[in-house]
Amino acid sequence: MAALPVPWPSVKMAAVEKRRPLVAPAASFTDSTRPSVSRAVASTKSEEDFLRQVGVTAMLRAALLKVLEARPEEPISFLAHYFENMGLRSPANGGAGEPPGQLLLQQQRLGRALWHLRLAHHSQRAAFNNNVGVAYECLRASGRKKKPGLDGRTYSELLKRICRDGEAPEEVVAPLLRKIQCRDHEAVPLGVFRAGMLTCFVLLEFVARAGALYRLLEDPALATADRRMGQAVLDTLEGALQASDGAVAPARYLEAGSRLGPDSLALAMDRALVARRPSSPMTREEFLEKAAALFIAKVKPVR
Amino acid sequence: MLKLGSYPGQRMLSPERLALPDYDYLAQRHVLTYMEDAVCQLLENKEDISQYGIARFFTEYFNSVCQGTHILFREFSFIQATPHNRASFLRAFWRCFRTVGKNGDLLTMKEYHCLLQLLCPDFPLELTQKAARIVLMDDAMDCLMSFSDFLFAFQIQFYYSEFLESVAAIYQDLLSGKNPNTVIVPTSSSGQHRQRPAVGEASLPEGVEASLFSQCLENLCDRHKYSCPPPALVKEVLSNVQRLTFYGFLMALSKHHGINQALGALPDRGDLMHDPAMDEELERLVMRSRLHRTSRQHRATEPGAFGFQRRDKLEAPENMLSASAPTPYPYRWEPRE
Repeated sequence: MAALPVPWPSVKMAAVEKRRPLVAPAASFTDSTRPSVSRAVASTKSEEDFLRQVGVTAMLRAALLKVLEARPEEPISFLAHYFENMGLRSPANGGAGEPPGQLLLQQQRLGRALWHLRLAHHSQRAAFNNNVGVAYECLRASGRKKKPGLDGRTYSELLKRICRDGEAPEEVVAPLLRKIQCRDHEAVPLGVFRAGMLTCFVLLEFVARAGALYRLLEDPALATADRRMGQAVLDTLEGALQASDGAVAPARYLEAGSRLGPDSLALAMDRALVARRPSSPMTREEFLEKAAALFIAKVKPVR
Repeated sequence: MLKLGSYPGQRMLSPERLALPDYDYLAQRHVLTYMEDAVCQLLENKEDISQYGIARFFTEYFNSVCQGTHILFREFSFIQATPHNRASFLRAFWRCFRTVGKNGDLLTMKEYHCLLQLLCPDFPLELTQKAARIVLMDDAMDCLMSFSDFLFAFQIQFYYSEFLESVAAIYQDLLSGKNPNTVIVPTSSSGQHRQRPAVGEASLPEGVEASLFSQCLENLCDRHKYSCPPPALVKEVLSNVQRLTFYGFLMALSKHHGINQALGALPDRGDLMHDPAMDEELERLVMRSRLHRTSRQHRATEPGAFGFQRRDKLEAPENMLSASAPTPYPYRWEPRE
């Protein structure tokens, strides 16, 4: 209990941030009904000191700042994950013995970078970019002292881990990895790193949505979908993605949106059904692979 | 299952949440309530943190909040502090005592209160009484109640406590002829209805007019800062009747399965006793005890003696049991009187 670790990157941030009364621990919350809080002032004082001494104050302040940055839908489970990760990393749990080997260190750094990357959803671009920056620093600082910088190998490893944890089938994401990976010995600049991470997360969400789409088409008894249906949906998707390559961004989104609207999708599916040709089944893997291929075709390769 | 959170990466975009000022966001999700409570718990369990570390302590605390087990055996002020705590408590109460319902036992208000106090030692009697009034329509308060009747009435009373208090005030105003909305100018006769209708006045039925009541409640839902049932469903409840009494209204709320679903703590009434895992476990025990008994043959009681009565009668083990036990007499704690 001698030294409780507060190995926290954003404690710095906390110090920079204006000190708000709300971040202070228990004693200063006004509307509390808990008896322990309303005890004598002296004990409150000593409790405050205790909390500061063992690092609770700093830890909670950092956690609160992370919550505010990421604005998660479910802040309580966010906090549970946050502290869980912190506990795994602290030397108090496991790491107390001899210094870990190089390989283990590398794994720890990857884990930490991954965790930062997942703190905010990619649609919250400011928070996400901020976390990408922190993750990049985590990985970069790791290298041998003489050659600071992130190498292609670590970057590729990270991409693979993200895809694996994203539960997307390997064959679905493999083409993307081929496109955005760097060579093992290459130095990866922050811009490439950020683009790679973002693409990877967006693809995973795309695949998850495609999976949901497939479930709607799926015949629960056979666990496959009708090929005509599947193909009709894929074609509509492709049409929407390729529709107006020349147009500027907002117009393109609008057009893609209208092409994917329920009416035009229904029309395409209806046409496919009316055709009444004998059809073969389409598996989930095939559907996902084809859907992902449409997305990946749009990704610019890094090399 | 009550699912408080999914993994951060999988959630959808919700611009409203992102647009709120910091403090509003934290208040809306009661982040500070839980952080504060976490610190209080930590101060009360200092020896735990020297053993496991602070991060581990907080991990377990926030995980238990997610799972809804954080309210067990806590003080009442905490249990009612947030909607999530209230829902968790309702769920815990249901899960702990549903065997009472399964056995078909009827208990009095005082007995239900004892059960509540097993989970929350300082649970106020007043609240249990109010819930019982809903079931018993404010009459014969020492009557026996079924578990599900009590549970759903208790749910409305406990979860929407503050809302119901406002509703009661509005109801009283309407009853005494005042219109809380002051939309309608009181006529000269309004003064005469200050008291409840006298015995002789048979022409005027009990309660208040539903449409007027509905209007008032709509306004209430708009400006109420505590949780209230979905306004559309409240309206639906009131649109089905001409007049109604306060307890009639609460009874209708408690029986409305849409309101129960929106609240999200308890399953539908029909599934209240449905718990396949526990049923299986009980069945195993019963089978074992049956084998044990037939080998010894020294007791008249049959396997049905545990008396859990299932709704899904079609399942094989149940048929086996009822075939072999034609006269199951349920095990009961006989409620006094």
